[in-house]
Amino acid sequence: MSMRPPPEARSVFRDAPVSYPAHGICRCALLLCFFCSPPGCSCFSGDGPMQKKKKSAKSWRKALTPYVWLLPSFTLMTVMVLLPILTVFYRSFQKFSKAGKIKGFIGADNFSQVLHSAKFSLVLRNTLVWTVLVVLISTILGIIIGMVLNSEFKGRKIARAIVVFPWATSLIIQASVWKFIINTDHGALNALLMKLGLTKSAVNFTSSPEAWFAWEIWVGIFVTVPFVAFCVLSGLQSIDSGYYEAAAIDGGGFWQQTFYITLPLIRPSLTVSTVLNIIYVFNSFPIIWAMTKGDPASRTDTLVTYLYKLAFINGENGQAAAVSVISFLILCVVSAAYLAISSGGGDES
Amino acid sequence: MKQGNKLKAVRKPGNRPAVRAALYLFVILMCVVILYPYFVMFTYGARNTADIMSGNVFPEKWIWANYAYVLFSNRSVVRYLLNSVFISFGATAIAIICGIPAAYALARMRFRGRKIFMAIVILSQMFSPVVLLVGIQRVLLTFGLNNSDLGLILIDAAFNQAFAIWLLQGTFRSISPEMEQAATIDGCSTIQSVTRVLLPMAAPGIVTTLIFVFINAWNEYTIAFVMISDDRLKPITVGINLFNGYNMIEWNYLFAASVFATVPVVILFICIEKNLVSGLTSGGVKS
Repeated sequence: MSMRPPPEARSVFRDAPVSYPAHGICRCALLLCFFCSPPGCSCFSGDGPMQKKKKSAKSWRKALTPYVWLLPSFTLMTVMVLLPILTVFYRSFQKFSKAGKIKGFIGADNFSQVLHSAKFSLVLRNTLVWTVLVVLISTILGIIIGMVLNSEFKGRKIARAIVVFPWATSLIIQASVWKFIINTDHGALNALLMKLGLTKSAVNFTSSPEAWFAWEIWVGIFVTVPFVAFCVLSGLQSIDSGYYEAAAIDGGGFWQQTFYITLPLIRPSLTVSTVLNIIYVFNSFPIIWAMTKGDPASRTDTLVTYLYKLAFINGENGQAAAVSVISFLILCVVSAAYLAISSGGGDES
Repeated sequence: MKQGNKLKAVRKPGNRPAVRAALYLFVILMCVVILYPYFVMFTYGARNTADIMSGNVFPEKWIWANYAYVLFSNRSVVRYLLNSVFISFGATAIAIICGIPAAYALARMRFRGRKIFMAIVILSQMFSPVVLLVGIQRVLLTFGLNNSDLGLILIDAAFNQAFAIWLLQGTFRSISPEMEQAATIDGCSTIQSVTRVLLPMAAPGIVTTLIFVFINAWNEYTIAFVMISDDRLKPITVGINLFNGYNMIEWNYLFAASVFATVPVVILFICIEKNLVSGLTSGGVKS
């Protein structure tokens, strides 16, 4: 059995397909209309040539209108986002003096230096482990919490408000608090466990770099789950309860309803949250910086903390730019692959 | 209140006592785990150093003076808090002023190049500011904006454009264009129809977006950490390092200051929580 998602669950851009009538009156007008918005566009109404000339000036204005509306946003993003992107790409192919001055084009040298350094593969592996584990576990937990918050129980409003907390807290503060909680000597968790009688003596929660990294992943999950839960919740609330009533009449139990109705219908929400989370988690700096600064010897570094050290502590400008470009390419490939897989599966109807 | 008609598919978790008990157990456990770090922040902020080391779960003696200390002593964080307020307001204002027309164009008009614009929006999400640190620094230097709050404001606004446009576009789409069309027929210009008809109707969504951007700007750390070296300009997330020395961390003051940095935004976020849920659905940046 296949459940087709309701129309509103599908892409919002699919409404009213854009079709330009092929009148062939005037190539110019057609081209113009191609640039402008068809609704109310009157250049195909079959007016005389004189009127058309008058109207085409109007149409030009009309054609430009959307771009005028977009201009402030476009300018802001061009200057503050696009320009830095281009700068990073440019610098990744340049040689730098020790003082940070550009010394000229050196081709792919920066990239080969980065790729051949011993630390890079370790950092790359850490980044993948970090991103995959945080996003995967957050998504699973987020689905469960979203579904729980969508069911009826006393104190539901309070629970929803509490789930928001980690989302609203600065990552640097959240990470600092957790760093204190898991401290061996005077950490709050040891105090609590000993008071409850669960342990006799203080537990060393962070005996190895791997343990530190695991705690960093835990904090990452802790702050990521609310976003997933709320995306799931928003997806769940757009589901028509008729689906569940129909399923209940047909004798579908909880698990069947979950797998055949709920999960397919919240898929658009999940796709958005997963793609955004892949990007955010991959790029997350404060948690690792606050807890270990990537130490010891890059064992807990991810690409962004590594990049920060290269650029601002070691002064390796060219290599830092190369790492930026590599991170960007990885993100592009991963996000595109994820979108292709998830939308490819969703469009079979 | 209005939840009744809004939440169509609230699911009744069955009447079996075991299911209900499991549900409540899960919810309580979840809330305890989530609230634990806040409990730690709050209670350890009110201790003296010896008490922090003592291994007590609750403070032996509540030292509320710590909270006064971080505000009123010569190591006050008030200046950092005010900087955060200023930077967040600035970033929010710019993000909204640029975001509303863009979201309106995307929601109401059809035009060539919308895909390109959306690609830029998504691209701006793809590169976190951290990955672009080197590039951002160069650009700010070029414009003479390095180590200035204006530079930080513009960057925060730019990197929040995507979310602002997503949320605003969703709000505008959920409002039928008929009212604006009627206003246009009555002789309003497009701008009038937007400011007098659409924006008042979209007010809840706009407030949600405002608060959301405000919170993001308030909690931003990395850019401020790298770009702002002038102590007088630091926002609270960076300024809090005052208590995070090389040799020792003054946990009690760090946590007391953290409480002041956290509480306002958590309250703001709770206010928009319900609107955010509907905002996230109706948006949908993907094209």
